Amino acid sequence: MKKLFSVRKVLTLCLLLSLVWTGVCAYYKIRYWGFGLHPHASTNVWRIDAHIQFVPTGGPIEVSFGIPQESAEYKILNEDVSAKGYDVKKSQDGKRLVLSSPAKEKVQNIYYRLKVYDNEDSRGKLADPTKPQLEKPVYDEEMTQQAEDIWAAAEAFEGRLPQKLIALFNQQPLDASLNAFLPEELNEKQRVMKMIELLAFKGVPARMARGVRLEEGKQESLPDLMLESYDGDKWRLYDIYSGKDGLPKNFMVFQRGGKSLLDVSGGAESRVRFSALKSATSTFKMAGHRAKINDLESAYEYSIYSLPLLAQNTLKWLMIFPLAILITVLMRNVVGLSTMGTFTPMLIALSLVQTGFFEGIVCFTLILTLGLLLRLMLSKLNLLLVPRIASVVIFVILIMQGLTVIGYRLDIAVAASAVFFPIIITAWIIERASIIWEEEGPMNTIKEIIYSMFTAIVTYFVVASEEIRHVMFAFNEINLVILFTVMLLGTYTGYRLTELKRFYPLSKGK
Amino acid sequence: MWNLLKGIARPKDLRAEGILGMNARNYDIISKNNVRRLYPLVDDKVQTKMLAEKIGISTPQLIGIIEFQHEVRNFQQLVKGHKSFVIKPAHGSGGKGVLVITHWNEDVFETASHKILNFHDVYQHISNILSGLYSLGGQYDTAVIEEMVHFSDAFQNFSYQGVPDVRIIVYKGYPAMAMMRLATRQSAGRANLHQGAVGVGLDVHDGKTLQAVMYNKPISFHPDTKADLKTLQVPFWREHLLIGAKAFEMTGLGYLGADIVLDKTHGPMMLELNARPGLAIQIANGKGLIGRLQKIDETYPAGLTPEERVDFVLSQT
Repeated sequence: MKKLFSVRKVLTLCLLLSLVWTGVCAYYKIRYWGFGLHPHASTNVWRIDAHIQFVPTGGPIEVSFGIPQESAEYKILNEDVSAKGYDVKKSQDGKRLVLSSPAKEKVQNIYYRLKVYDNEDSRGKLADPTKPQLEKPVYDEEMTQQAEDIWAAAEAFEGRLPQKLIALFNQQPLDASLNAFLPEELNEKQRVMKMIELLAFKGVPARMARGVRLEEGKQESLPDLMLESYDGDKWRLYDIYSGKDGLPKNFMVFQRGGKSLLDVSGGAESRVRFSALKSATSTFKMAGHRAKINDLESAYEYSIYSLPLLAQNTLKWLMIFPLAILITVLMRNVVGLSTMGTFTPMLIALSLVQTGFFEGIVCFTLILTLGLLLRLMLSKLNLLLVPRIASVVIFVILIMQGLTVIGYRLDIAVAASAVFFPIIITAWIIERASIIWEEEGPMNTIKEIIYSMFTAIVTYFVVASEEIRHVMFAFNEINLVILFTVMLLGTYTGYRLTELKRFYPLSKGK
Repeated sequence: MWNLLKGIARPKDLRAEGILGMNARNYDIISKNNVRRLYPLVDDKVQTKMLAEKIGISTPQLIGIIEFQHEVRNFQQLVKGHKSFVIKPAHGSGGKGVLVITHWNEDVFETASHKILNFHDVYQHISNILSGLYSLGGQYDTAVIEEMVHFSDAFQNFSYQGVPDVRIIVYKGYPAMAMMRLATRQSAGRANLHQGAVGVGLDVHDGKTLQAVMYNKPISFHPDTKADLKTLQVPFWREHLLIGAKAFEMTGLGYLGADIVLDKTHGPMMLELNARPGLAIQIANGKGLIGRLQKIDETYPAGLTPEERVDFVLSQT
């Protein structure tokens, strides 16, 4: 009698579909959201502090500071200005931070803090189709000659024009032509200005890019400079020492072009110093930002990962239940262990996760033993069932209290974990154990307790693994697979493992 | 490698012997033959008793039932005039909570295992039954008081204390397999095989011993009474089978276990029915159930009366 849609076939189909669905989702999550199989996969997040300092000169103060923009390269997670008594605004184009205040005394300290996430996936060049205006420097005849000499000397180097020039600037000792052109005592900024000037002379638009090179433990350092030149359709960054082109891995641009990074009116001796601190944030927390960058926000918003952290943590805890239930089902229907209560071992295992394995086992054994002793005394009183169990529940609470206080006083973590055990469950275990004890003898009691603890410990080791917990949460579609597995196990009619032993005398193939 | 797994059977071998496993019993047999709504008929002993009376199955005489805590104190009024009686929970299983009083007067109650209880002990026992200590789901229960079975001398020496009873597995109304359970000192007068009672596999056709086991191992003599188990022959076998067969009409359960005791004067009496009978009977018989059930499915006729079915079974050899 073969039915086309037998329960088993339908469930198998569902299981296969859920497997495929889980696979697809996992691919999607790994590819676009950056989820990993490992719980500690991390992404670099930088905290950059720009410290602006100046001495007020008496008049109203206005500070204008170039700030980085959202770009494909970096994602700004969080920005924050600490400037007491200042009116903080952003310029219309969002490229500058404008702070104003009435006259002040004393040295002013303003902090601009940024948290950025380095989106390593999409590091690119800055495309700009409009050709920038070129302001050719006005040179007299002598300087024109010098500039041409310099370019002639630069021809000796390889690469694009800016690269040739940078190489020439970094030659030791300096080429004679350059030596004659550059004034003595040139700071970094002035050197870059000269490069830009020479490039403009050659007809190449160029500008300065100021920012921070993100290096671990960077403290109060000057802004780092880069040269950016236009090569027809996009701006290309060059390192002013090595001439290497492209945005270096750890460079964050704060300001580009002619305007200065920091303008202070109403103040003197202004300066800006940068500090940078790297912290690794779990890839998980970054997933949303990544999804945003990849334009997949709406799918993300309806996933559990966009919930508040507290809700996520609760869900993360819940996600592990189906797995624990699966183990319970396997233990009962496939292995065939009879335990105290169907889900009791699972609940003990989940408590063990919170208390820690060793502490939990010791503590639980203590509670059980004490509880059983008290229950033994109770059975002499011949109370009615419900009041009796109620008393056991209160006993358990009292024992937990006692253990917690003793644990705290003596600083023993073991006892302090007492409060994590589910009270009612513990009370029922004690009640059941004592009834089995009276009716079927201590052997059966111990056997059932051992089976229950064994199941609990097996469940614990699966559930306690951070990897498994992470996978269950990150790829929560697995729960569907578990659901159909459990349902399919509901149609399992094979022998249980314990039956292989139980019915051994009946097998003729000994 | 199979040396390592000594004492563990290969699934293949068990299948070849037609051994019914717990999962297969639940999925293939019980869920397909027993309708859930019929369970209360066998789970509640008061209901079972009423039904049995209607269909003509003899059961121990009901003395009375105690439903409420305040009635417990008057239980002596109920049993007045009965020399002996049995108190059991209406929803109990596996003989849990059964108290057999063989003699009593005023404040002294003697149990089947010769323990002496006072009024308060018995009071407490009934009270426990009412609060659900022995019931299946722990729900409030009713205490059933019935007459004690004076079991037949036929089994004297075959049981150490306790009542020897016959368990018959009835499939679609046909007795499929039978065994007798004998209490031992090990089992403390209980008839549960896993507690050390002796299980004697009985030939369904004549009620004679096939083999006997204790703790899964074959034995020839009762460990306490030293009686030769091979000589066991259940009298009134046809009547035993008839109780089992009628239980099918009575409950509508396609797969059930009937527990039957032999009374000195009343003959075979049904003690209780079970909608989920255990699988230990296979061990006692040294045979698997699957073959029997399949044979009944395939070759036994449907639509017969209980008497016709029993005769059909007895005619098979």
